[in-house]
Amino acid sequence: MLEIRNLHAKVDGKEILKGIDLDIRAGEVHAIMGPNGSGKSTLSYVLAGREGYEVTEGTIRFKGRDPMEMGVDERAAAGVFLAFQYPLEIPGVTTMTFLKTALNAQRKARGEEELDAVRFLKLVREKAKPLNVTDDMLKRALNVGYSGGEKKRAEVLQMSLLEPALCVLDETDSGLDIDALKTVAEGVNALRSPERAMIVITHYQRLLDYIVPDVVHVLSKGRIVKTGGKELALELEKSGYAAYGADAA
Amino acid sequence: MNDKATASFVTAFETAGNALPGAGSWLARRRADAIKAFAQAGLPHRRLEDWKYTDLRQALDKAAFAPAPEHKGAVILPETRGAVAFAGIDAHKLVFVNGRFHEGLSDMARLPKGVELHRLADVLSEQWAKALIERRMDEARQAENIVELNTALMADGMALRIRKGVRLDKPLHLVFVAADAGASHTRNLVLLEEGTEASILESHLGGKAALADIVTDIELDADATLLHAKLQDETADSVHLSTLRATLAGKARLGSFTLTLGCGLSRAQNFIRFAGEGAHASVDGAYALRAKQHFDTFSVVDHAVPGCTSHTMFKGVLDGEAEGVFQGKVIVRPDAQKTDGRQMTQALLLSRDASMNAKPELEIYADDVQCAHGSTVGELSKDAIFYLRSRGIPDAEARRLLVLAFLDEAIELAPHEKVREIFRDLVSGWFGEAAS
Repeated sequence: MLEIRNLHAKVDGKEILKGIDLDIRAGEVHAIMGPNGSGKSTLSYVLAGREGYEVTEGTIRFKGRDPMEMGVDERAAAGVFLAFQYPLEIPGVTTMTFLKTALNAQRKARGEEELDAVRFLKLVREKAKPLNVTDDMLKRALNVGYSGGEKKRAEVLQMSLLEPALCVLDETDSGLDIDALKTVAEGVNALRSPERAMIVITHYQRLLDYIVPDVVHVLSKGRIVKTGGKELALELEKSGYAAYGADAA
Repeated sequence: MNDKATASFVTAFETAGNALPGAGSWLARRRADAIKAFAQAGLPHRRLEDWKYTDLRQALDKAAFAPAPEHKGAVILPETRGAVAFAGIDAHKLVFVNGRFHEGLSDMARLPKGVELHRLADVLSEQWAKALIERRMDEARQAENIVELNTALMADGMALRIRKGVRLDKPLHLVFVAADAGASHTRNLVLLEEGTEASILESHLGGKAALADIVTDIELDADATLLHAKLQDETADSVHLSTLRATLAGKARLGSFTLTLGCGLSRAQNFIRFAGEGAHASVDGAYALRAKQHFDTFSVVDHAVPGCTSHTMFKGVLDGEAEGVFQGKVIVRPDAQKTDGRQMTQALLLSRDASMNAKPELEIYADDVQCAHGSTVGELSKDAIFYLRSRGIPDAEARRLLVLAFLDEAIELAPHEKVREIFRDLVSGWFGEAAS
C-alpha cells in the first residue's frame, strides 16, 4: 500500500525528515511514536501534501502511484486521509454541507456517481450514530464550538464516510479524556479492514491500549530508529525516549 | 463650475426646463436653488473628507453620460442573474426603464385599501411629499451634495404612502432597467404611517452604460416596519449613486440590506436618523467585486434620542483590482442614553491587487451607551483551504465554500428567507464566473 524510501523533507528550509524508510501493507496498523520535534507530524503533512513541506530526496509510492505528483485533493480522492491533531474550525460551512461536498467531490474524481441528498443523509446518519455525532452537530458549522472530543469524533466520522485506503491519525489522543478516547478508538477500530492501512502517530502509549498496532516504529530526529511489535510501545512507556537519542520528554 | 460633467448636468437642467415634474409649483424654486448649489460645489472629488476614496468628478468627466433618452420600442429585460433574481417572489411591481415609469411592465393593480402607490409626479402637490423632499434640504452634509443634483433633475420615481395600521400584503418590487445608455435621476418617497408594515425589493439591472442617480427618502412613523432588500447588478461600464435617508419615530423598525455585484463605480449612502425612542435600524450589505470595480459605502447613523438600537454590517469579497470603501459613522447625541450602536466592516481580498479602505467612526456624546465598531481586511485562510482539500474538495470549490461562508454572515441579515436564498445563489454564481 505505502512504500517510503529514504525520505528527506524540509520545512522552512530546515531538514526535518532525514531518511525515512517505511513499508505498510493493506490490513496493517502501524504506530509511529516519538518525542516532540522528531518529525511525526511532518511525515503526516508530507503524505497529505501540505504546502511548505518540501521533499528533497527519496520516494513515496502509494498504491503504486507517486503522491508527489498529485494535488492535496487528488491524494484524498485516491485514498489518503489525514486525521488532524487540531481539526480546523470553519465558520459558516455546516458539517453536513462539508461532508456532502467532500464525499461527492471524491466520488466524482473517481468517476463514481454522486449521492443525492436523500441517499447521503441516510448514509451519514448511519455512520454518525455509533460515534455519537448528533444531528445537531451535523447542522452546526464545521468544528465550530465543538469540544475536543467532538472534534475528534467528527474526524473519525469523516474517515468512516470517505472510506480511505490509508488513514493517518496524527496525535488523535491529544486533548481527550479517557471516555472520549475510548469512543474515538472504537470508531477507528471499526474501520480496520484487510483493505485498509493505518498509521497511528502518537507521543504516548495510552492510545495504543485501545488501537492495538501490528507494528511500532520509533521516530527520532527525523529517522526511524527502532521497529518492533506492539510490546515496543510498552517498553517505551517505561524507559522513555532518552534511549533513542532524544531529550527526555 | 469647474468640470465638464458638472456643466453637462447644468445644461441638462436648462434643457429639461418645464418638462420636469412640478414645473410652476413649489418645487420649481427648490430645483433652481438645488442646481445652483450643485453647480457651485461641483461634483464631489477626493479632497472632500466624505469622498476621500472615490473621485466621482473624475469618473463622470470620463464617462460623460448624456441624459438617458426615452426608450423606443419594446423593452427586453436583460437575461442577467439579477433580472431573474426576484422573479419567483409574488409582488406588486413597478418597472422603470431609463428612469421612467413603464406602465406596461408594471403591475400595481389590486393594492390593499390604505396603500397609496403613485409616480413621483402625481404626489408633488401633496403636503407629505413636499415635507419629505424639503426636510433635509437646508441641513444636508457634504456627502449629500449629490442629492442637490437629484433634486434638480429628478424626473420620476415611486411614492408610497401607507395609511395608519395597514399592512402591505406582499412585497413591492421596484425594477430599474437601463435599456439605453445615459443618466437618469430618480426620487422615491416612502411614508409609513403608525403601525404599518411593508417590504420593498429593489433590482437595478444593466443593459447599457448608465448613470443611475437614486435618492430614497423614507419616513417611518411610530411602530412602522419597513423591510428593504436591494440588488445592484448594473453593467461594468455603469455608475450607480444611491442615497437612502430614513427618519424613524418611536419603536419604528427598518431592516435594509443591499447586495452589490454590478457597476464599474458605485456609491451607496445611508443616512439613518432616530427621532423617537425604542426604534431599531439595521442597514447591512454584502458585495462581491472583481476587475476594476469600485464600491463605496457611506453610512451615518444618528442616534438623536435615547433607547434606540442600530446595526451596520458590510462584508465584501474583492478580486482582481477591485476596490472597496467603507466610511461609516455612528453618532450618539448627548441625550441619547441607552443607545446600542454596532458597526462592522469586513473584507476578504482574493487577489494581491484588490484593495479595501475602511473608516468606521464613533462619535459619542452620551455616557450610558453600548457601542462597538470594527473593521477587518484579510485573505482566505491557507490552513482552511488545506483542510478542505485534504478531504478531497478541489481547490476552487474549497475557496467557493469559504467565500460563501464569509459572506453568509452578512446575507443572514437580509430580510425574508427567500431573499437570502436568492442572494446566496447569486453570490455562488458570481464565484463560478471567476473560476471559468
